[in-house]
Amino acid sequence: MSAQMTDKRDQGAARAVYVYGIMPADVEIESGTTGVGDPPGEVRVVRSGELAALVSDVSTDRPLGRPEDLVTHEDLLDASAADVPVLPLRFGAVISSDEAVAEELLAAHHDEFMTALEQLEGHAEYVLRGRYVQDAILREVISEDPDARQLLDQIKNVGKANEMATRELRMQIGEIINNAVTIKREADTLAAGDALAGHVVASVARPPTHELDAVHVALFVDNSKAADLERAVEQMASDWSDRIDLRLLGPMAAYDFVGTANPAPGA
Amino acid sequence: MTVMQPGGSSGGRPQPSGLADVIDTILDKGLVIDAYVRVSLVGIELLTIDARVVIASVDTYLRFAEAVNRLDISNDKETLTDLVGDVTQGGAKHKTKGALEAAGDKLREFTDAQGNGDRAGRRSSRGGD
Repeated sequence: MSAQMTDKRDQGAARAVYVYGIMPADVEIESGTTGVGDPPGEVRVVRSGELAALVSDVSTDRPLGRPEDLVTHEDLLDASAADVPVLPLRFGAVISSDEAVAEELLAAHHDEFMTALEQLEGHAEYVLRGRYVQDAILREVISEDPDARQLLDQIKNVGKANEMATRELRMQIGEIINNAVTIKREADTLAAGDALAGHVVASVARPPTHELDAVHVALFVDNSKAADLERAVEQMASDWSDRIDLRLLGPMAAYDFVGTANPAPGA
Repeated sequence: MTVMQPGGSSGGRPQPSGLADVIDTILDKGLVIDAYVRVSLVGIELLTIDARVVIASVDTYLRFAEAVNRLDISNDKETLTDLVGDVTQGGAKHKTKGALEAAGDKLREFTDAQGNGDRAGRRSSRGGD
């Protein structure tokens, strides 16, 4: 591909401004930081009053949402959140121009965004994710439900003869297991919330995104309590090691705790 | 950027997010621009990845059934109390990758296949008025 072809491709393309998040006006971005899109634009700052928006140019005739775009969007926000309070935007926010960013986004909502940034200052989000160890949780379910055990034996016996005949039985046991896992998910989520309540300002459960999800909770944490939180999660991971694989993600921008005036009280 | 394996490292130490974690966060959470900007919002084509497993579907039930059917419980005692005892003593002898883990691998395949045009996606446009 020659340089001329690249120019032609960009010549007619409309440009617009992709917005990652909102921060205090005194934020600085390292030059040469690249953003979303192919090719990516340079990340820069648009300021208005005491606020800044983190932005980069994109062309409007190319789609966004490749894995690189998604990771870039989050990495930028989480890295910024380590230094300054950040109001993260959901993926995909594109505004027509810098002037529109300054006027319609920042100036028009200046006080509301300032208040939110003040509440976010000195805090970070963590996400606790747990997934059931498959064999362990299946054994738990079977052991706790004699009817399920009987059903399983039935399937194993009939199954040797005729796979089609067991479809109904397999649907039944599958549903029993799914219901049991759902109940365990709720119980384990509550247990995790209780164990961490003293270390977080607020918490909110996220919906499960996998059949074996055990725990999926967003935590809003005062930075001074981060070490306490990590220790508590390590203890939890150890207690649960045979049945749940636990991960703590973060610190990150407060995706789950923006959009409301005040976060909900911790569990 | 590496995708975290479920069932891999565990514990309390903060860990980097994998692509699945990123998707759950930035497609579902964060401020929604439409609530703040109307006139200057630009519609742009978004490729979104919807590889999240649907829970409580026929596929889910059959996958659970296959997984439990392959479970080796021949050594498990039949009485309820004995089985409970085994479980509380950490009776899981193997952490095998089963049908359910395979279902969650769709995203990993996506990232491996990137650039090969092998992309399952749902396209949506966001538009301003």
